[in-house]
Amino acid sequence: MLSIGIDIGSLTTKTVVLNNGRFLASVVSETLDEAEISAQVAMTKALERIDADEDPLRFVVTTGAGAKGVSFSDRSKAITTCLARGIAYCVPEARAVIDIGAESSTVVKTNERGKVLDWANHDKCAAGTGIFLQQMAKLMKLSFEEMSELSETASKGADITGTCAVFAESEVISHVHRVPPTPMPEIILGIYLSVSSRIKTMCKRIGANEKIALSGGVALHKGLVRTLEKEIGQPLFVPDDPVCVAALGAAVLAGEEIQKETAQ
Amino acid sequence: MKKAANNKIQSIVRACRIILAMIEADSNTRQSQKMYYRMLLQYYTRLRDARENGQFIAAHTVFFPAEILLAMDIIPMHTETTTWMTSLFTGECGEILAAGARLGMATEICAPHRGMAGAFASGALPRPDVMVWSNMVCDNTAKSGELVMDICGCPGFFIDRPFKDSGLEKTYMAGEIRDMIAFLEDKSGKKMDYDRLSTIVERMDRQIELTRQVNELRKNVPTPFSPLGFLELLTIDYLFPGQPESIEYLETLKAELEEMVKQKKGAIPKERFRLMTLFIPPMYLMSFLEKLSVESGAVSVIEPFFTFWGEGRLDASRPVEAVVEKAYMIPETRMYGPLGESALEAIKKCAREWKVDGAVYYADVGCRHSCATIKLFKDALAEVDVPVLTIDCDVVDQTVTSEEEVRDKMERFFELLEDR
Amino acid sequence: MYDHQNKHNSQPRYTPLKTLEVFKAVNRSFPHTDEINHIHDQGGKVFGWLCTYVPEEILHAAGILPVRITGYDRETDLDDGNAYLYMNNCSFSRSCLQMGLTKEYAFLDGVVGGSTCDGARRLFDLWRQYIGTPFHHVLTVPRKYTENAHSLYLAEVEMFKTHLEDHLEIKITDEELMGSIELYNQTRSLLRELYNHRKKPNPPISGSEVMEVLDACFRMPKESFNHHLKKLLQELDGSQNAYSGRARLMLSGSVLANPDFISSIEQQGGLVVADELCTSTRYWGDMVEVQPGEPPLKALARRYLNNYPCARMFPSEERFRRIIETAREFKVDGVISEIIRYCVPYSHDLPLLTKRLADINIPVLSIDLEYGSSGSGQIATRVQAFLEMIEAKK
Repeated sequence: MLSIGIDIGSLTTKTVVLNNGRFLASVVSETLDEAEISAQVAMTKALERIDADEDPLRFVVTTGAGAKGVSFSDRSKAITTCLARGIAYCVPEARAVIDIGAESSTVVKTNERGKVLDWANHDKCAAGTGIFLQQMAKLMKLSFEEMSELSETASKGADITGTCAVFAESEVISHVHRVPPTPMPEIILGIYLSVSSRIKTMCKRIGANEKIALSGGVALHKGLVRTLEKEIGQPLFVPDDPVCVAALGAAVLAGEEIQKETAQ
Repeated sequence: MKKAANNKIQSIVRACRIILAMIEADSNTRQSQKMYYRMLLQYYTRLRDARENGQFIAAHTVFFPAEILLAMDIIPMHTETTTWMTSLFTGECGEILAAGARLGMATEICAPHRGMAGAFASGALPRPDVMVWSNMVCDNTAKSGELVMDICGCPGFFIDRPFKDSGLEKTYMAGEIRDMIAFLEDKSGKKMDYDRLSTIVERMDRQIELTRQVNELRKNVPTPFSPLGFLELLTIDYLFPGQPESIEYLETLKAELEEMVKQKKGAIPKERFRLMTLFIPPMYLMSFLEKLSVESGAVSVIEPFFTFWGEGRLDASRPVEAVVEKAYMIPETRMYGPLGESALEAIKKCAREWKVDGAVYYADVGCRHSCATIKLFKDALAEVDVPVLTIDCDVVDQTVTSEEEVRDKMERFFELLEDR
Repeated sequence: MYDHQNKHNSQPRYTPLKTLEVFKAVNRSFPHTDEINHIHDQGGKVFGWLCTYVPEEILHAAGILPVRITGYDRETDLDDGNAYLYMNNCSFSRSCLQMGLTKEYAFLDGVVGGSTCDGARRLFDLWRQYIGTPFHHVLTVPRKYTENAHSLYLAEVEMFKTHLEDHLEIKITDEELMGSIELYNQTRSLLRELYNHRKKPNPPISGSEVMEVLDACFRMPKESFNHHLKKLLQELDGSQNAYSGRARLMLSGSVLANPDFISSIEQQGGLVVADELCTSTRYWGDMVEVQPGEPPLKALARRYLNNYPCARMFPSEERFRRIIETAREFKVDGVISEIIRYCVPYSHDLPLLTKRLADINIPVLSIDLEYGSSGSGQIATRVQAFLEMIEAKK
């Protein structure tokens, strides 16, 4: 029986397929208007990828914003539980995971069994999230790679103290238009530091201070990761596929449900 | 004062009538709950009509010894509770808070206190004859009185409740209470009836004893008291200290819970999670939380800083000293300070004895002094293996968090608990 | 530490005050000042105190160097402070806790505070639990000025003295206490002389320079501070410096210790000639007056409770009265109220204070900020507008 995990995010839907704990495939597709359709399309793609039968035996666990509205979901699970299981699968030494997604950032503290001990999240506004970084990139007309490269040359970060995305954005704008303008590398580093500060506070609130992993699309943003490591003062584990960690965790949970049912 | 002012109290009266009618029609509700709503109805009807009846109204803050007012036949108006009820039942929460903002009150000032000033300024609350307040248990309460005096053009008295619980400090507070009694006698033309105060103290002692006994019954698995029933216990203490109705309510409640325990019945069909509640949930989410509790099988079994009384008895032969004693026994004042080992031990004791699975901390964005205890309590509860969920919210201001957000966080937390 | 630029373009001639450099050096090197290093080398003790309701003279009489806990001198990351005190406590308390948690206050042998406000209360609760200093004491401070309140506060001060004596295994004599009181009174009268210079139409010293002096006062032994302040006063007597501005301003509010904030107001052309801050007049404003035959401790306690009021005290009218008195004395055109976000007592006072000042035609600019703010950006713009408004009225 296949264990399928589907993470329906605000921008993308991630699907992971396991079989008896063995990884088979992961697929990332666009999130459409309806969660039901997004999940259906995602699962279809994943099953195609593994060349599965017409309608294979499976247990589906969904997570993310649209998780509950999916009719063929066998169980929906909280994103925090999925992140914990997911990171335990791909980075067993991790005892915490920082997930920076499109619209929110979460830090989950875990134990060796991939269980959630505590978490903190920041969902009140876009500051410190993927969308915020995208906005900043657009503002400065740079790609994430270009941002990362440029930030390496900065000796210090520009002061960006706004605690809210709107204020932070206007501070960046004023840095760009200043006479003389603040050097681009410093602005970028300033943005990274501002994001890192938020993450640091969340880590400290829940006592996540060692063996920390990263997940979510932003984990691929090298410049930010580097700054985050420096600010937290710890090397951060970045799994091969940071984007699919929650979906992977959902698949692991699906596997646990299968085991439970078989045991009965 | 304009008739219009009383309409807002009328909204509370109307809401109480509606709720009372609903629960009286439902054979499944507790007798004690019906008594509770009758008491609320009576309180607010009396307040609504006080002006017309030529009675003397004293507005007072939370944790203020309202028993002093009751002993003098003065009509009490509990400002924070009346403000949040008015906000909720008129649906004019936004307007009331905006009125507070127009007075120049910063948004960081906690909503019940911003709201209180706004409610008086806009005439939503009736103008009192005096404003009496204390610094229990925070700066917001301490600083509310003078602005209200200014807005309402009425005299006021501030009771300075000191910091530590030494004999010297309690004597100081007793002096404060005596000075306030003199002030009230002067302004109201009524004399304090000390015999009556003694009787009230006796009843308060019984009230506290009964509350302790009710809490003892809540230790049972499954717990016999409804998920958010603790709010009734809280309000009984705020609005009806030492009143015969309170004793009746508590004795009835106790008997009901004893019966449930005998039949091994729980308050909700399937109890899955026994929770400790830290601080107060947003008032506008009460019915939602009640529903969520039943759906998820989560009940609040103990609230260390709202229903778990400190030890001690009240000596009715020295009523003023007893009122001071009570001020130091109130659950919330354990947090006042200095917050040391004894408060942390109390939390751990509650967790152990009530067999708590997890704790929920409602982090009210306006309440500085309580939010600063979150990490402290988390660390203490970690010692007894109790995880803590923190929900950023506001008791009154509906824009801070939503049902959806709260549900999402609770569900994550329930999964965490189940997963262990 | 301070990125302090005094732009004197608007001033005709300016000769830097030599003695000011001594104070600046203390501020920049704190806590690794020569004096503190010396004291520790000699086996002496340094205690930190918070709040103007802590009777400093008692610490001095016990042979301790009292230094004020003022947190960081600039806005900075406060992750640890945020985690323990949460985001809705004032950044002052978070800043102090942050420094404590990162062991930057590890040089303190004791901490003393008062039960003055929620932020301070919790700061000390968390300090005791998570930082732990060999000596830790919190005084109950009543909120009233009545006879009973004075009796209670005196008892608290006596208990503090006893606790200190027990901890250090010494006895503090009345003579020693009188000596400390006289020394501190000298500081107070010297600071009053300094402030008198600011009453002039064109003061020889700016608001931000005065803040440097005050900051040093919290960090130096009073003996050495008094010595240097006397020198500064001599320099001022002979100085040709004369600041002019678009308006005479008074700064009012909670804790502020960053001279840069005052600089940025003065750079807009505002002359900050008076202030009512925890770090200024509320600190040194009143003298200790020992009546003949009176125990010095009683006089000390009386002065500290009656002191220029903090917003926590009742009735608030007493604070308003003093502010109005100061505003009149220094002939101010406007008041800038600076209140740290989530500072509850001062926020509550603002509506009534604004009213009282409006009654005597003094406008108020209300700024809410984070502790350590340098006053740039938005704040400078608003000060500009405020000054323009005052000028238009003249």
